Amino acid sequence: MTELRLEGVSKRYGTDDDETVALAGVDLTVRDGEFFTLVGPSGCGKTTTLRTIAGFETPTEGTVAFDGEAMTAVPPEDRDIGIVFQSYALFPHMSVAENVGYGLEFRDPPDGRSVDDRVAELLELVDLSGMGERAPDQLSGGQQQRVALARALAPAPDLLLLDEPLSALDAQLRESLRLQLKRIQSTLDITTVYVTHDQEEALAISDRLAVMSAGTVEQVGPPQEIYHEPATRFVAEFVGDNTVFDGRVSETTADGARVAVGDATFDLPALPPGTETVSFCLRPGTLTRDADRNRVTVAVDTCEFLGERVRVHGRWNGTAIVLGLESMPPETVTVGFAPEDVHVLETS
Amino acid sequence: MSRRDRFRGAVDRLSAVGDRVAAVSRLYTAVGSLRSWLEGHALAVLGIGTAAVLAVMLYLPVGVVFVNAGFEDGVPTFTHVADVLTDPFYFGFLADIFAEPFAIGSHLASLVGWVGAISISLSLEYPLSDLGIPLPVPWLGLETPGLRQGLFGFTAYQAGLSTIASVALGLPAAYVLANYEFRGRRTLRSLTILPFVLPGIMVAVGFYAMFGQAGTLNSLLGAVGLGPFAFVETSPLAIVILAHAFYNAPLVARITVAAWESVDRRAVETARSLGASERRAFRDVVVPQLAPAVLTGALLTFIFTFMTFPIVLALGGLQLATVEVWIYDRIQRLDYAEAATLAVLETILSLGLTYAYLRYESAQTGFSQAASPPPKEALFPDLQTALSPRRLAIVGYGLVTLVVFVGPLASLVVGSVTDGGGFTLDHYAFLLERQLEGESFQTLPLPAIRNSLLFAVATLAIAVPMGVVVSVLTARAGRLGTVVDTLAMVPLAVSGIVFGIGLLQGLVFGISLPGGWRFQVTGAVAIVVAHAVAAYPFVTRNVSPLLSGLDPAMVESARALGASRYRALLDVELPLVASGIVAGAAFAFAISIGEFSSTVILASGGESYTMPVAVERYLGRRSGPAIAMGTILLVVTAASFVVVDRVGGRFER
Repeated sequence: MTELRLEGVSKRYGTDDDETVALAGVDLTVRDGEFFTLVGPSGCGKTTTLRTIAGFETPTEGTVAFDGEAMTAVPPEDRDIGIVFQSYALFPHMSVAENVGYGLEFRDPPDGRSVDDRVAELLELVDLSGMGERAPDQLSGGQQQRVALARALAPAPDLLLLDEPLSALDAQLRESLRLQLKRIQSTLDITTVYVTHDQEEALAISDRLAVMSAGTVEQVGPPQEIYHEPATRFVAEFVGDNTVFDGRVSETTADGARVAVGDATFDLPALPPGTETVSFCLRPGTLTRDADRNRVTVAVDTCEFLGERVRVHGRWNGTAIVLGLESMPPETVTVGFAPEDVHVLETS
Repeated sequence: MSRRDRFRGAVDRLSAVGDRVAAVSRLYTAVGSLRSWLEGHALAVLGIGTAAVLAVMLYLPVGVVFVNAGFEDGVPTFTHVADVLTDPFYFGFLADIFAEPFAIGSHLASLVGWVGAISISLSLEYPLSDLGIPLPVPWLGLETPGLRQGLFGFTAYQAGLSTIASVALGLPAAYVLANYEFRGRRTLRSLTILPFVLPGIMVAVGFYAMFGQAGTLNSLLGAVGLGPFAFVETSPLAIVILAHAFYNAPLVARITVAAWESVDRRAVETARSLGASERRAFRDVVVPQLAPAVLTGALLTFIFTFMTFPIVLALGGLQLATVEVWIYDRIQRLDYAEAATLAVLETILSLGLTYAYLRYESAQTGFSQAASPPPKEALFPDLQTALSPRRLAIVGYGLVTLVVFVGPLASLVVGSVTDGGGFTLDHYAFLLERQLEGESFQTLPLPAIRNSLLFAVATLAIAVPMGVVVSVLTARAGRLGTVVDTLAMVPLAVSGIVFGIGLLQGLVFGISLPGGWRFQVTGAVAIVVAHAVAAYPFVTRNVSPLLSGLDPAMVESARALGASRYRALLDVELPLVASGIVAGAAFAFAISIGEFSSTVILASGGESYTMPVAVERYLGRRSGPAIAMGTILLVVTAASFVVVDRVGGRFER
């Protein structure tokens, strides 16, 4: 039962002259029992954030608190956390059971159970019953991953931290383990922080997620909100496919605005009064061939056949366009969009 | 005894047990709190201990040598160094330059004169006419006028020749080991480490047994009606260089094989696909990756052979004196100031070379096994292939290695039980007789064996913790780690002789402390410390790569599970580097048993002589007893290496 709170966490490396900023004022609240994901491109600070929560990094400024209790000065071994790394970091000189039982040398098993019972229980939880005597290198990658998870969960930690635990696995295994991970997490109802660079994975698995870029949090919210209402241009471009237009308001009416993008003019929904320029985005599905408003003719660059639909990368007026069509287009394709499908990113 | 008495007795015993339990539990609490304090500070305590040992036993002695060379009656002076630098005996023609560094004109004039005196001639010779083959061969004659090398010049000269010989002998081995598959290849590959731990004095005696007047080679040649040849007497330099190659060619081979096997075959295949011929791909892709390894091996060989001592002492004597041998001779004559001066100059040179080596090594990327190493073909798949020129050349090379590597060791064993032609146990009988009837001032075999083993165990006990602590500190210290590493690796660059006189002048003679105290370390303790200081870098060298190769997430996982930093070290890191610790321990043990240079100085006049020292002392007019003692040394070294490996092997997974 733990709520995690980060306030103004900054992390800088190096000297004053040659300083690298890894985190610049991160504020986050992870609710009790929540599956919370940090997602962003490599170098965005998501792993540093996780390591700061674990206590392997000391923030230059700011505080980390578990249930309101400041943790900043507490060493990792006293934080009551479980962590799973991308490399799993199983102890190769110990058997699977010894790996899972290692944390129970320092923390008593929950509910007064014996160590052996707890280890067996955890192995069962991750579908590895009877594998306890194996050596880690006798297991497949997916099995090793589950041992690492069992090991992290054995002492019943307050907080589960997962650092790209699935990215060393192949796509199919990754998806099945993702489901299993989510199932175990919701069964145990344990507060979980998950780090990944894969936005699709982040959307699929999380209760809420934080999109990070260059050491700052761009947006926090549930997956639907992140997907449909990106708060910044970065989020729009990083999460899912989006076409972003930059335009200049040419005319405002009571129920909408007319915006000039290049030499075309689009109908948009109403904008705040006094808006001069606007950036807005459109999901691939909203740009359709049969829409009768806001039509543009896109020069097709590449097509990717994805089964249900075809993802088309094209270009119009120097703007990169992403479309989701039902069939392969010819060299050019004319599409349009309805004003109500537009999501406005920023105005000035 | 009545039942009641028995009951009372039992009660008394029980309460006594109770008292003891209470005492034990009090003790346990005390130990517990001490333990938790130690857990928190263990590394710091061990680190300080290691630093203290290094400061007193390594830096102090070396410092004393420098002080003795640079000070006279407490006044800094350059005269000792200047005397040596400008003495042609030491520095040959360079001495003139050192004496008058600014008389460039006259130096240039003598250089021109020297170059002018070089004569090059071209003629037709018939080198095989003795065999009745009148084959003319164009013969390029090159005559250079004599050049006075001096002691340092000669030392460098023989080191250079030894390096060339080692590379020439080592590269074919690397080629065969890296490119062919045959039975025993892996064993042979691991055996390349063996010469490194063989005692120098024993190898020297082995070469005596092989190439001496009554040696194995002459016996073999005599069987076909040739000889006997006085190999050692007529060309001691050649034998010394061969003995150096015995040591260093396997080193060159080892490093080169590692580089060769790390060449990604896909890189070669890419070059071939781009149009390079097999030969061209080898030249453009493989050779550039091998060159640094060969150079590394050559540089190390040069450093080692520059500081050579027991081999030259035993095989060449003073007529082939290298700097080390000369320093030893000065010490025997109690001329400490000159010995110290020479030692300082030698150390500066070897430190420079070692620094160059370390810089060079760190600039190289580590040799890791490539994802897809080059394929190996069978060495002798069928008779037809076996008779191809390339395979025949390999067979010829194999014969040479038999003579150079197996010959001396086999001769040592054979020579210890033969005399002239027949089987004899006389040599061992001599040792036994000496043991039973020898005077106390004489060198007895049993104490030598006992001392060697005792010192080796004591060395192990000091060197292994020291080496591990240095590894752990280097791994933890980050950028500071390089500094720690370099400081801790100084023993590799300081020769045993230099270290020996440092210990002698510093710790054995004693250092006056304020308040009338004297700090003095003598006899066995000094020897053990010298061995430990010489041996621990090998522990570090074996442990460090494993330690730094560990996934940091491993330790972090342990800590997230509740282990303190110390527990993580104990539970995770140390078990995973156990194989390195065991290998380092085996090295430390073998190095202690074989150490000669500083032991011979520290043991002189005392009873702390070891087996190598005994071998040297027996090496008189009759080589028999020395060969027998050398054989015992070989057996003990081999046995202890196996034992340490077996005992340690249990801790490996």
